[in-house]
Amino acid sequence: MLDFLQTLSDGVLFGAIYALIGIGFTLVFGVMHKINMAYAAASVGGAYAGLLVLKAVVVAPAWMVFLGAFLAGGMLGWLVYVTCFHFIPLSSPLAPLMSTVGMLLLIDEVIVHLTAGMPQNYPAMFDDVMLRFGEFTLRGDLLLVFGISVLAMIGLLALLYRSRLGLATRAVAQQPIAAQLCGIRVTRVNALTFVIAGLLGGLAGALIGASVGALSPLLTTPLTVKGLVVTVIGGLGSIPGAIVAGLLVGGFENLFQQFRGVTERDMYVMLLLFAFLVFRPGGLFPAKS
Amino acid sequence: MKKIAIAVAVALAAGSAYAQEKTVKIAGFGAKSGVVRSFGVNSEAAMIAAADVINNQGGVKLADGSKAKIAVEFYDDRCTAEEGISIIRRIYGTDAVVAVGPTCSNVAEPLFGILQKKVDDKGDSGLQMPVFTDVAIKIGLARISEWAFRNVPNETTMYSSLFYWLKTKYPDVQSVYGGVEEDFAHSRASWYAVMKDRAEANGYKVIGNSKWLVNDTNFSTQVREIKHANADIVAISAHPFTTCGVLKEMQRQGVKPKLLVGLTSSSSLETLQGCAKQAEGIIIPTSFAPVTKEGKAAAETTAKFKGAADLHSMAAWENIFILKQVMESEGISADKSQLQADRRKVRDGLAKLKQTQGLLGVTRRTEDREADKPYLFVQAKGGSWVVLHNPL
Repeated sequence: MLDFLQTLSDGVLFGAIYALIGIGFTLVFGVMHKINMAYAAASVGGAYAGLLVLKAVVVAPAWMVFLGAFLAGGMLGWLVYVTCFHFIPLSSPLAPLMSTVGMLLLIDEVIVHLTAGMPQNYPAMFDDVMLRFGEFTLRGDLLLVFGISVLAMIGLLALLYRSRLGLATRAVAQQPIAAQLCGIRVTRVNALTFVIAGLLGGLAGALIGASVGALSPLLTTPLTVKGLVVTVIGGLGSIPGAIVAGLLVGGFENLFQQFRGVTERDMYVMLLLFAFLVFRPGGLFPAKS
Repeated sequence: MKKIAIAVAVALAAGSAYAQEKTVKIAGFGAKSGVVRSFGVNSEAAMIAAADVINNQGGVKLADGSKAKIAVEFYDDRCTAEEGISIIRRIYGTDAVVAVGPTCSNVAEPLFGILQKKVDDKGDSGLQMPVFTDVAIKIGLARISEWAFRNVPNETTMYSSLFYWLKTKYPDVQSVYGGVEEDFAHSRASWYAVMKDRAEANGYKVIGNSKWLVNDTNFSTQVREIKHANADIVAISAHPFTTCGVLKEMQRQGVKPKLLVGLTSSSSLETLQGCAKQAEGIIIPTSFAPVTKEGKAAAETTAKFKGAADLHSMAAWENIFILKQVMESEGISADKSQLQADRRKVRDGLAKLKQTQGLLGVTRRTEDREADKPYLFVQAKGGSWVVLHNPL
């Protein structure tokens, strides 16, 4: 029983990472109704950029590396917007999808070329903190990721529902033409959405690096897949949905691994996605029509 | 008349210059993109560095007594089977007399499959191209084709020797638990067919093993299994990224086995770059360390070409020197019209070899076209690899 609980809690806590990535996917989808396939790669790219800070300043503390990742993530978010959305005809749903897939591969390969594919040690925060309840343990660094995911959700919801930018963002999401007629600069709002999602992505990348303990280009594809799964299960465009789905996928993933083995694990995660698509296509928190 | 004499002289001079500029092309191929890019980068650098040394000494002596320079052209197979097969077909269409590569065993296996199985088998239309592998290490692959040769370490011998030495050195150490990267050809084969088997053969009790995938990031369940097993030795058959992930999780969960054993490919800079602190003490058998004069020189020369010296890249270095020896002893012409004959000569020359000179000492060649290379055991200490024991 203890093993079951430990497996479940480890998975749920690790799912906080999926939740952070899912939030970014869902934010962009909520505003532009487009999937940004390069999001996870840009997040990892932001984390790598944070490492440059570490290398530039000889003994940079972890928070400085995280700050570097946060800012670089925002810049990459803007870059992805400009290259993959701004000049692309958005009326064709395939065009931004393919351009972001291209960007995913480009970011991945740039990282590979800059690091020769070698894993890079990444500074951790609270990695030595382990909450112990007898034999049962909880990882301090993953609790931090979980806390940041919740804070990010609160912050984003506050931004969306308590600020002028949020009002403009919601207006653009609901009726871009009407929003434009009201004087809202749609392009600017879209770009800002990417920057905000990018900032969050950079932070997510840094937290992923910190919790895994290393950065590698190997991270981008599985995070992209998990981010998409989380976005669909949570409900496209739903920020709370992304968090709940992230934790759910993380927990299920670990349980499947425990009971069916690592080689079958991802198969069951995909079956879970399939089940949602068939029986609850709107996800856990379907968008209001 | 004078004009004709000048023209003849110019033609002769041009002919002579042409003769001096003869080249023997060696095609290298391996992963230069994706997460194993460093393997291809290092192999290419080592091959170019070795060719540079040979060229500076005059080059390769041809059948007619003239000399030819070695030209290395390297192709990126991205560690995928389909790309590897496509590249070997492309190489076959060039004037390369031999190919050196690939990096990944999952490329080598199907690629050797498209070569002619048996020499002179007229019913087999497979490619007749000698391939001399430097990196792909999964056991027994050269058996697939008589055109396939490898200069990779024999992991069975190395781990047999390592477990024997550990048994002698630490007699109180009794049990082994494995960790295996289940979806990577080399790691998987090395655990099930080599490490596990050799540990048992040396009297260890193998309690079991945990599995993970090459892209995994969460190892809590696997490390809990390792913790529950409470084995004296934890043997990790995985590449640097997941090796580091597992070692970091072991540190978090306070798992401290008496000894840690790693996979040959992890005795590289990558592991130290990813987790030097957590890898402290891990013991790995390797076929290269810069402990000899030749080894140090090879490492330094390769570094000038922006490559790192490790067991894989230094095999590429050795391959170029072995090929020079073979081309000279077999008397190739480096004439494009004789290309297929030259390839055959290189193949036959490689097949004849009983032993070669490597950077650590003499390498014995086996009947099935594999190498039995000298090796030693290294240990991660203070952020670098130090020689722990030389069993030979």
